Amino acid sequence: MATVQVENVRKIYTRDTQTIVVLDGISLEVPDGEFVALMGPSGSGKTTLLNLIAGIDRVTSGMIRVGDTTVTGLSDAALAQWRSRHVGFVFQFYNLIPVLTAVENVELPLLLTRLTKRQRRERALTALRIVGLADRAKHYPRQLSGGQEQRVAIARAIVTDPSVLVADEPTGDLDAASAEDILTLLDTLNRDFRKTIVMVTHDPRAAARAHVERHLDKGVLAASVERHVPASRDAHEVPA
Amino acid sequence: MKFLPYVLQHLRRSWIRTASTVAGMALCVFLICVLQTVLAAIESSIAGASPSRLVTRHAVSLTFNMPLAYKARIQAIDGVDRVAISNWFMGVYRDMKDFFPNFAVESEDYFAMYPEIRVPPDQMQAYLQDMQGALIGPDIARKHGFRIGDQFQMESVIPPYRVRGPMTFVVRGIYGAAPGREGSVNMTTMYFHYRYLYETIQGAEGVGDYAGAGTFNLQLRDPDLATAVMRAVDTNFENSDVQTKTETEGAFLSGFISLVGNLAGLLGAVGLAVAFTILLVTANTMSMAVRERRTEIAVLKTLGFSGGRVLALVMIEAAALGVLAGALGVLLAQALVGGLADLPFMGLLLGNFPALRVSPPVAGFTFTVAVVLSLGAGFVPALTAYRGRITEMLRHA
Ligand SMILES: Nc1ncnc2c1ncn2[C@@H]1O[C@H](COP(=O)(O)OP(=O)(O)OP(=O)(O)O)[C@@H](O)[C@H]1O
Ligand SMILES: [Mg+2]
Repeated sequence: MATVQVENVRKIYTRDTQTIVVLDGISLEVPDGEFVALMGPSGSGKTTLLNLIAGIDRVTSGMIRVGDTTVTGLSDAALAQWRSRHVGFVFQFYNLIPVLTAVENVELPLLLTRLTKRQRRERALTALRIVGLADRAKHYPRQLSGGQEQRVAIARAIVTDPSVLVADEPTGDLDAASAEDILTLLDTLNRDFRKTIVMVTHDPRAAARAHVERHLDKGVLAASVERHVPASRDAHEVPA
Repeated sequence: MKFLPYVLQHLRRSWIRTASTVAGMALCVFLICVLQTVLAAIESSIAGASPSRLVTRHAVSLTFNMPLAYKARIQAIDGVDRVAISNWFMGVYRDMKDFFPNFAVESEDYFAMYPEIRVPPDQMQAYLQDMQGALIGPDIARKHGFRIGDQFQMESVIPPYRVRGPMTFVVRGIYGAAPGREGSVNMTTMYFHYRYLYETIQGAEGVGDYAGAGTFNLQLRDPDLATAVMRAVDTNFENSDVQTKTETEGAFLSGFISLVGNLAGLLGAVGLAVAFTILLVTANTMSMAVRERRTEIAVLKTLGFSGGRVLALVMIEAAALGVLAGALGVLLAQALVGGLADLPFMGLLLGNFPALRVSPPVAGFTFTVAVVLSLGAGFVPALTAYRGRITEMLRHA
C-alpha cells in the first residue's frame, strides 16, 4: 500500500523581506499503483511538490503521507532512511555518478542495506536487466547515450524496490525515440511491477502515457483529468 | 568498509589532482620528518652528554683560543680530576663536500674522559706512538675506503692552522661505541694529537694566540660539584686578559647549536609552517572536490545517505590523501635522511651528531600529523556536505 496523500500543503520561501508562495494549500491523492503526470507552466511549483513528496524538501505547513508513513513528521535522519527504502527518484539530467560504472551506480543505494557484496551485485544486475542494459553494466556514464543513462538512473531508482517512483521531467533532455523508450519503461514499471509513479513533465505526449494528468498553476492544482485505465492492467501483474 | 571503493574511485578518477596533492603533502611530510629527525639527533646527543664533564671555552666566542697555561690552573681546582685540550681543526679532506668533523685532542687524557669511544687496545697503542696518527670513525673509513696505515692530508679552513700548508696523517685506529652507548657516539669524527698541531704551527708568523686551547674538557670527581667547579674556573680567570666560560657538556653542546642559530626553534617554526602548508593544500583539494560534487552529494542524500554518512565519506577521502602522503613522505625521509650529512653545508652542522636515521617514533609522529591535518582540512568541506540541503545543491548545479 503506497497511496500518496498530500493535504493542504503550503510551501513558502522567504528571502529578506520578500515571501514567495510557491504552493498554496495543495491537496492531492495518488492511489496505490497509479501513474500521475504533473503538468504546468515553468515556475508553477511542480518540482517543489515532487521534492516534498519524495521527502527531499520540507513543507511550510500541511501534511504528506506515503503509505503508512507521515513523511512530514520525520526527523532528518529518519527521513533519509525512509527515502532509501520507499522512494525512487529520477532526475531530468540523470545525475549518475561519473566515476562509477553503470552497475556501481545502480548498486549505490544498496550500500545502505545489510546485503552482502554479492547480493548487492546480483540485485543491481537484475535492475539493469529490467531496464534492458545488462550488457552495459561495466560502462561508465560518459560511454552511454542520454537515453541509456536515464535507464541506468531508473535502475538505480528501483533497485531497492521502492513502492513509489517520482520523476522530474525524465524525458526533458531526450530525443523523441529515447523519450519513448523511457516512457515505455515507466509504463512497464507501473503495470508489471505496480510502482506508484508521479511524473512531472512539460511534454503532452509524455503526460498522455499516464493514467491521470494534474495541472499545477500558480501554486494551485486544477481539477484532474482522468484517462481511461487499460482494462488489461491486472492481467499483466507479475507476482512479487 | 564498503564505501571505500567509492571514495578511492574518486581519487583515482581525478588522479592528476590527487597525485599533485599527495606529492605536495608528501614533500611537507618529508620535511617535517627530516626536521624531527635532526631535532631528535640534537636532543639525543645532548642527552648523551655526561653530567660529570665540563667544557671551558673563551668567554667571548668559541672561535677564540685560550692560553695553554690555563690548563695547569684549572687542574689545580678542587674537584677537577682531569683536563684535556680539544681544538676544532676544521680540516678539509679533498673537498668541502666530503667534510667530516675533526679535532686535535690531548689524546691520553681525552680518551680517558670519553670511555664511550672505544678503540681496540693495539690500535690505541699504535695511535699514541705515532705523532701523525689519527683515529677515525667507521663511517669515514667506509666512505673513503680508509684502512689502518693509510696516509692522507688535510688542510684547515682556519688561516693560522694552515700556515704550513696541509698536514699529513696516518690512520692508526678506527673507533666504535661502547656497548649501549651507540646513540651518543658520532661515527664520522676524526681525532688526532693536539701536540702535532701545536708543534706544526707554533712560532709561525700570524699564528699568535691560535697556538692555544680551543676548549678545555674537564672531568669531575663528582657530578654534584659541577656548579661549584664552573664558578671556580671562571672566577679564577676573571681578572686575566682572557676570561673563560665554563658549562656542562650538555649546555656546551646546546650552546654550540645556538652558534649556528637558534636551530631547534627555527626547525620547530619551519615544521609548523610546513604543517600549515599541508593543511592548506588538503583543504584546497577537498573543498574543490566537494564544490564540484555538489550535485553528486545531493544525489547521494536523495538516495538516502544521511548527512553524517556523507560527512564521513568526505573525511575518508581526506584521510586517504593523508595516509598516502604520510606513507610516501616518511618513506622518502627514510631513504634520504642518511644522505643529509653528505650535503656541503648540512655536513658541517650535522656531522656532529650520530648517523641520522628516521626513528619509529618520529615516523609515527609525522605520519599521524599528516593524517590528523588532512582530517582537519577535510572537516570544513565535509561539514558543507553534511549541512547542504538537497534542493539547494541540485538547483545550483
Ligand atoms: N530555494 C528557493 N528560494 C526561493 N525561491 C525558490 C526556491 N526554490 C524554488 N523557488 C521558486 O519556486 C517557484 C517554483 O519552482 P519549481 O522549481 O518548483 O518550478 P517548476 O514548476 O518545477 O518549474 P520548471 O518547469 O521550470 O522546472 C519558482 O518561482 C522558483 O523561483
Ligand atoms: Mg521543475
